[in-house]
Amino acid sequence: MNAFAIFAAALAATPPLVALVPLLPLLAALAIAFRLLRGHGEAQEAVTAGVATAAALGALLLLLVLDLAALVREAAAVTILDDWLHIGAVPVRLSFILDAYSLPIATLVALIAWIALRFSATYLHRERGFGRFFLGMCLFLAGMLLIVLAGNAVLAFVGWELAGFSSWLLIGYAWERPVATGNALFVFLTNRIGDAGFLLGIGLATWSASTVEWTGLAEQAGNGSLTTVTLRLLLIGFTVAALTKSAQLPFSPWIARALEGPTPSSAVFYGSLLVHAGVYLLCRLQGALVQVPDLMTLLAVLGLATACYGGLCALVQSDVKSALIFATVAQVGLMVLFCGLGLFWLAALHLGLHAAWRAYQFLLAPAYMHLVHGPAKPVPHWLARRRWWYTAALQRFWIEPLTHGLLTRPTLLLGRDARALDERFIDPLVGAPRPDEAGGDEWATDELIRGHGLAGRALFAFADRLQILESRLLLSGDGALMKHLQRLVNYADAVEQLLEQPRYLMLMVMATLVVIL
Amino acid sequence: MLKILLLLPLFGALLLLLLPSRRVDLLRRSASAIAAATVVCACLLLADFDPTSAEIQFFETRPWNPRLGSNLALGVDGVSLPMVLLATVLCFVAIFSSQGIRNGAKLYFFLLLVLETALLIVFTARDWSLFYVCWELTLIPLFFLIDRLGGANRHRAALNFVLYTLGGSVFMLIALLLLYDVAPGHSFAMNDMAEGGAQLPLRTQTLIFVGLLIGFGVKMPIVPLHGWLPLAHVEAPSPISILLSGILLKMGAYGLIRAAGTLPAAALNLQDWLAGLALLSLLHGAVLAWRQTDLKAMIAYSSISHMGIVLLGIAALNKAGLNGALMQMVAHGLVAGLLFLLIGLLYERTHTRDLAVYGSLNRVAPRFAAFLIFTLLAAVGLPGSAGFIAELHVLIGAYGRWGGWLALVSLGMLITAAYALRAIRCLSTGPERPFGGTPAGVAAFADLDRNEIAAAGLLAAGIVGMGFYPAPLLDILASSVSRLAHHFGG
Repeated sequence: MNAFAIFAAALAATPPLVALVPLLPLLAALAIAFRLLRGHGEAQEAVTAGVATAAALGALLLLLVLDLAALVREAAAVTILDDWLHIGAVPVRLSFILDAYSLPIATLVALIAWIALRFSATYLHRERGFGRFFLGMCLFLAGMLLIVLAGNAVLAFVGWELAGFSSWLLIGYAWERPVATGNALFVFLTNRIGDAGFLLGIGLATWSASTVEWTGLAEQAGNGSLTTVTLRLLLIGFTVAALTKSAQLPFSPWIARALEGPTPSSAVFYGSLLVHAGVYLLCRLQGALVQVPDLMTLLAVLGLATACYGGLCALVQSDVKSALIFATVAQVGLMVLFCGLGLFWLAALHLGLHAAWRAYQFLLAPAYMHLVHGPAKPVPHWLARRRWWYTAALQRFWIEPLTHGLLTRPTLLLGRDARALDERFIDPLVGAPRPDEAGGDEWATDELIRGHGLAGRALFAFADRLQILESRLLLSGDGALMKHLQRLVNYADAVEQLLEQPRYLMLMVMATLVVIL
Repeated sequence: MLKILLLLPLFGALLLLLLPSRRVDLLRRSASAIAAATVVCACLLLADFDPTSAEIQFFETRPWNPRLGSNLALGVDGVSLPMVLLATVLCFVAIFSSQGIRNGAKLYFFLLLVLETALLIVFTARDWSLFYVCWELTLIPLFFLIDRLGGANRHRAALNFVLYTLGGSVFMLIALLLLYDVAPGHSFAMNDMAEGGAQLPLRTQTLIFVGLLIGFGVKMPIVPLHGWLPLAHVEAPSPISILLSGILLKMGAYGLIRAAGTLPAAALNLQDWLAGLALLSLLHGAVLAWRQTDLKAMIAYSSISHMGIVLLGIAALNKAGLNGALMQMVAHGLVAGLLFLLIGLLYERTHTRDLAVYGSLNRVAPRFAAFLIFTLLAAVGLPGSAGFIAELHVLIGAYGRWGGWLALVSLGMLITAAYALRAIRCLSTGPERPFGGTPAGVAAFADLDRNEIAAAGLLAAGIVGMGFYPAPLLDILASSVSRLAHHFGG
């Protein structure tokens, strides 16, 4: 009994250790990056993989201890370690949330990541960029754990960006191929829309709710201290972030492009973990979300639509990974639907089960052809008969061409116009030297000081005038002043000579006498 | 202590006369040692100085010509002490870096030390007659130094320099005599003359102030009176250029501050005109500096522009403005001194000052390039250099009164940045250019040696030190400046 009490007390002291959970993979990433920089990251594969796997395992074990602590000692959900920074008067703390949502999912994340890392060590054996891959995976693990465990929006956003960045790194893993880098950019940019939403949410939370803690936000939404408009805007921000990350309509197309990376990373990112981050965010915000029923309706509608979209597209795919990813999208759509219906616990449960199952499937995907006997099933009859639906599913509902026509092209055209404006008017005006103007390698003195553009030319003309004026200021031997002086001296000389002659001297004396008398 | 400081260079100069004139290096080392001793002496003075007091310290006086009422009155306060320090440091650097002077070295070092004495007396004089005499006394060594050792146009430069300054001095002398007339007990002491000046009608006071302004404005220089400066700076040998722009120009600004302290009502009356002249100087100097391709001429004109900032700070007539003006005097003394030093050393090696001829200096002479880039950036007033602190103070001080007009200052700074960056570009980028027929790619001249680095490093350390930690200098200035600003009700 006594031993158990000590054990329980020890467990009660564990929550501050939670900071170590995301920190371990981050340190591993740093270590790997350092080894890469030192130039022997590629050679000793075992060390690189070992560091990453050990970090994931460490995080997993820590999380298990935390789970046990939470089971033994009823939840004191939020652990605040320290003040991190202040946004105006709003404090942002290093706070972590340890409740029934975060702990199981975090444990699952660590477990799947650990397995995937173990898998990758052999899967990527002797691949170029072995170290790079593990660097990205560790970064991702740190980011994902931060998203799940963070007690406030800012800390979660750090994880959110870390995950997005590592996703970009890994999709562009084979950076020699233009398709891979193009897809990486596409995915990253699409996700930036979500990031903007997240930032909007954080900004509004800081501005009007004066807190960025998840618990604080739920509380404020619950007691009605936020106006409906503010709350709705704030939640729209976070919802956009969630929908983007979870590849819901209309942001779905990115996920099919994200499969460009190595399989284990696809498994972890899009099959099981990252894609669920949005659903997790919705669960986190449930206290606030239930205050805005119309947003919930929207979520339900979008979730349902995505589920149908994913399901239909999955049916017509001809390769394993694509089929799996669309199936994932469909399942995640269902989760969002649950969220929209207010069944957050069900969504979370679904999330956990789906993540585990999908990770298994994705890791198996490379060997799939060996495992199934007989040909793949053809498209079901009912779909094959409806030609329009079939085409739409094949074309993935034309979402990408639509965005290209409605967003990308106009933006590009605007950019071209702005550039033309710059080249034709602004550049000549402010005098940015243009490539066609550069005068070769002859360095005429005048060329050196001549200004470019309107301002430069005006300055040059002005400076020229001043220079002319300037040279007038100097006194010189042959200047006008000296000429006048010389003439004066001549006159004085003449007078002097005249005075020296006696008759004028006499005249002077007499004149003086006359004046005196 | 003060007396020792003043007599040290004078006796040093006499001592040099006893040395054999063939042994140039011995002469230079002795002169350097004397100048270094003067620096040490000035530092001791600084250690004894009490920055909390606004009174004149180390004051001593003895009658000079009792019938006229002139005294040999000396003393320093927070305004003059930084100038004394700057003068000793720059004189040391100038003498120390005079390795290129071989002919007539004895006369050269003798004249330099005499010049230093005169300079120090100007900054410490508490009697207008003594001030005036030493003000004129600086002309004589400078005339010979420029006329004997200068460049191709040296005769013209020296003549212009002396004629302009003498022309200005005439007005100053008349103004001083007018003040002397009304001073109680017919005395030239600064305090007595200030007392007498205060009783005059404002119109007369303003006229007297204008007279002093012309005298000091020639030296400073203020724009329509600056004709002598570019030629003198370009033609003078580099060590003399260091002194000319580093400390001689500060004499004008220092005198103007003293004049404003003597006739505060007149200064307040002319405040707007002073600011107008300041902005004119600032822009005129900047534009013409931008127009030059000769490096020395560029720095000479940039001096006019920087002294415009000093004048603007003085014109603000409040604490921040005067602080800024004095800071800028020190900062510009160091920056211009360092620039002329480097350009001089460069000229000794390459015999050209044309910007277009240089290129890729950082490959040929990396230490030169590093120092030149640093100094040019400091001349722009990059944060972290002393000039930034000074310009900031001046802007703060002047903003309260002239507000939007200070946009012109920004314009001036923009042009300053333009020519400084262009100089950096021309000096340190581009293809390597051959000097004197040697093929490109071969280091055609030697980089800075240890002595030269020591001299340049001393000034650079001053610039950076004051840029990052201006508090000590501002402390020295504080009480004297607030007393001065008190005259103007600010």
